[in-house]
Amino acid sequence: MTDMYNKSKGYTETPEEIEYELRAKVGSVWSGGRLFIGMYTFLLAALAFAYFYLRTANSGLQWRPHNMTAPTAFGWSIFALEALTAVLAIYGQWRLRKGVVLDWQVAVWTGVLTSLVALFLQIWETTTLPFYPGASGYSSTFIGWVVINIATLVVGVYWLETTVARSMRMRKELGKDNPELSSVATARLFRANVASMTYFWGFVALSGALFLALFYIL
Amino acid sequence: MTISAERPTEVAASSATPPMQSGRVGWTQRPGWMSQHLGTAIVLGIVGYLFGHWLGNAITGNYAYVQNSGQNSAANFFALLFAVVGWLLGIGALNYPFAKLLGREPKQEPTVEGWSKYFRYTLDHKVVGLQYVVGVLLFMFTGGLLAMAIRAELLSPTTHLFGPGTYIEIVSEHGTIMMMMATSIIVGPMGNYFVPLMIGSRKMAFPRIEAFSFWIFVAGYAVIFSALPYGGFPTGWTGYAPLQTQAGPGMISYLFGFAVIGMGMMAAGFNIAVTIINNRAPGMTWSRVPIFVWSILATAALLTLATPTLFAAGLFGILDKTAQTAFYVSEHGGSSYLWENLFWFFGHPEVYIMALPGFGIVAEILPVFTRKPLFAYKVAASGMIGVALLSFFVWQHHLFQSGINPDMRPLFMLTTELISIPTGFIFLVGMGTLYRAKIRFEIPMLFAMALFFNFLIGGVTGVFLSDVPVNVTVHGGFFVLSHFHYTIMGGLLFAFMAGLYYWLPKMTGRMMNKKIGLWHFWTMFIFFNLTFFPMFIIGLLGQPRRVFTYAKNLQGLNDFSSISAFLLGASFLLFFANLMYSMYIKPVKAPANPWDSLGLEWQTASPIPEYNFERIPVVMSDPYHYSEVGAPPVADLGTSAPPVVSTTSGSSPA
Repeated sequence: MTDMYNKSKGYTETPEEIEYELRAKVGSVWSGGRLFIGMYTFLLAALAFAYFYLRTANSGLQWRPHNMTAPTAFGWSIFALEALTAVLAIYGQWRLRKGVVLDWQVAVWTGVLTSLVALFLQIWETTTLPFYPGASGYSSTFIGWVVINIATLVVGVYWLETTVARSMRMRKELGKDNPELSSVATARLFRANVASMTYFWGFVALSGALFLALFYIL
Repeated sequence: MTISAERPTEVAASSATPPMQSGRVGWTQRPGWMSQHLGTAIVLGIVGYLFGHWLGNAITGNYAYVQNSGQNSAANFFALLFAVVGWLLGIGALNYPFAKLLGREPKQEPTVEGWSKYFRYTLDHKVVGLQYVVGVLLFMFTGGLLAMAIRAELLSPTTHLFGPGTYIEIVSEHGTIMMMMATSIIVGPMGNYFVPLMIGSRKMAFPRIEAFSFWIFVAGYAVIFSALPYGGFPTGWTGYAPLQTQAGPGMISYLFGFAVIGMGMMAAGFNIAVTIINNRAPGMTWSRVPIFVWSILATAALLTLATPTLFAAGLFGILDKTAQTAFYVSEHGGSSYLWENLFWFFGHPEVYIMALPGFGIVAEILPVFTRKPLFAYKVAASGMIGVALLSFFVWQHHLFQSGINPDMRPLFMLTTELISIPTGFIFLVGMGTLYRAKIRFEIPMLFAMALFFNFLIGGVTGVFLSDVPVNVTVHGGFFVLSHFHYTIMGGLLFAFMAGLYYWLPKMTGRMMNKKIGLWHFWTMFIFFNLTFFPMFIIGLLGQPRRVFTYAKNLQGLNDFSSISAFLLGASFLLFFANLMYSMYIKPVKAPANPWDSLGLEWQTASPIPEYNFERIPVVMSDPYHYSEVGAPPVADLGTSAPPVVSTTSGSSPA
């Protein structure tokens, strides 16, 4: 048997085993991305539960005295930027599937920029609030949302940046091969990662819309 | 694609290997004292603590409420936050994400040989599993010492060792440490070590996340213990508001400690779930997955989905303490009931996070020592999934006394009683396997059978407690305390011991001494029951939990319980003595498969190579066809070894 010696792992593998492990790896990236969204859903559900619980309880009539509202211009801007990033990620993936890698890279780099601006605005908004964090149930849950949204944006922008950086480093390995069409392991893992990342940004935009409605519109 | 049982004989080298890592090794990863290891983690953790404290004071030190209160929760929080960040930096957990962020190819983690690998950030799931064994034993030992302190105080109905404040600090710390330890006690050591082996995989899906889950678990331990120098926290392990809101700086350690350990739990659950879904060997269909793996999958689902709620609850508590929000402050639009709901939405699934892996271990062990197929395998697997699903719908029974709308009580009483049905499935699977079996009374089997005895008492009293009138009567007393010790300690801890005695020969290559093991089992079993059974009576006679004084007429029972508890503690010393004796003083080499198990984890070489299997095995049936004539082979290991087949009788261990 002339199996391939895998230097980095220190043991031999048959091509079938290599392929099998690669499929497991691609599947892990794919299902891991979805499971991560499931975890995030429960985190956001806890915040939504807190919002509705305190709103319904209205302890001491202090849920939202004087209909206090966070600056709506910030809220709409942050949401618009999140939604734009999600659209860019989806558009980029669509172009990538057509084989136009450069369009995908431009879209994702733009997404990095828009999400960084959203992050900056989300932090800046905390300095312009017309209420104290503990002024009411509304203000408390709003601060909770701000912290979670900052964390979400940090995770999202990290994912965008590292994926697009990977695509640029990948050129060395793939040569003239298109990552969308190549059957090389790196390209297959990359596609699974792009799919998960795009899915995550779609989720960020949807959850952003929900909390925009809760904190700025209702 | 599946790998055929007929192995390829001629293979051309291909370039299909994913070039995810370069062969370079960074200076931080090189073996030696300059590299990243436990020592650097401790140093950077301390530096991070000091920096965080300074930063917190610099940011919030001038606020009037900080100056008036005389304590700065923000500084305490930042100190702990940066301590954890420093710890992770020091151990090397952040090398990979930072390298990716900077656009570099992550460097190859070197294979470290010898003892030092246990003090490093390692990607080998077996090393992580053994790290977890030591970690959870450390948790258990310190939590156990606190339990001894509690029982020492309760020798007398009045104050004689600790004041009331110190007593409640000890009770709170004991409860929190033990509950946090219990969430990981099986998933951490045995889940990480054995799941890849049992499903025929060479590694975990995300080895870095796996290693991260362990090292942050250790950081969480340190954070929770940091509450003691801060004056502790007076809330018990449940951390109820408004007491939480009124508590001193030790409460930050509790809230942040829970959040940190929660991150570890989520990471561990996430990685294990993805591994089981994707890394099963060819032929390992869902109906051939070992029952222990099913239990770990159900637990991983709970860890992944329920823990974010705990994380959010902790985050809100920290915001209340540091940013002066009012999530749990009723006067400002918050509600203390919000904490109770969020906490128990995690807290009740957590009970099953602890119970399910225990069920999985005993269901895995029973067929081996009865030499019978596992009775109703599919019922056991569906019972585990059923318990996991239902556990999300019972949390309100913890709030029967706390102001829940009385009309909601019957609903949650019903869901709580419903969950006893899938739990009963698992119990009946055990009884069905034991029925008319020729049992080999080895030590793992004794612990497994003890679980059924203990859990029967814990489970039946749980059915009583789910009933609203009984719950109203015994709530907050020793009856409840005894109930959950019977389920968690009597169930989980006995299963953990069963698992350790069963799998340690594979993990360490050495057999545990049987004579000391028997002494350990019988003392632990007898004194466990003598400690906790009287507490049912004490509870029914009206003694409340978390109170350091009690009625004079209860002293006899309390003293009996305390002395039994000390002897129970001594039984754990027997375990540690056995561990030292069997591993170092007089080691006896373990055969490759001392229990004649059909499980895949026993079929690989001993000691287990880093890559687990020489060839990825091809699975042909489930591993429970003991004593079945004409049973199909379990797996083709693809080596010169013959396929793994069942035997008609088992042999005793060497």
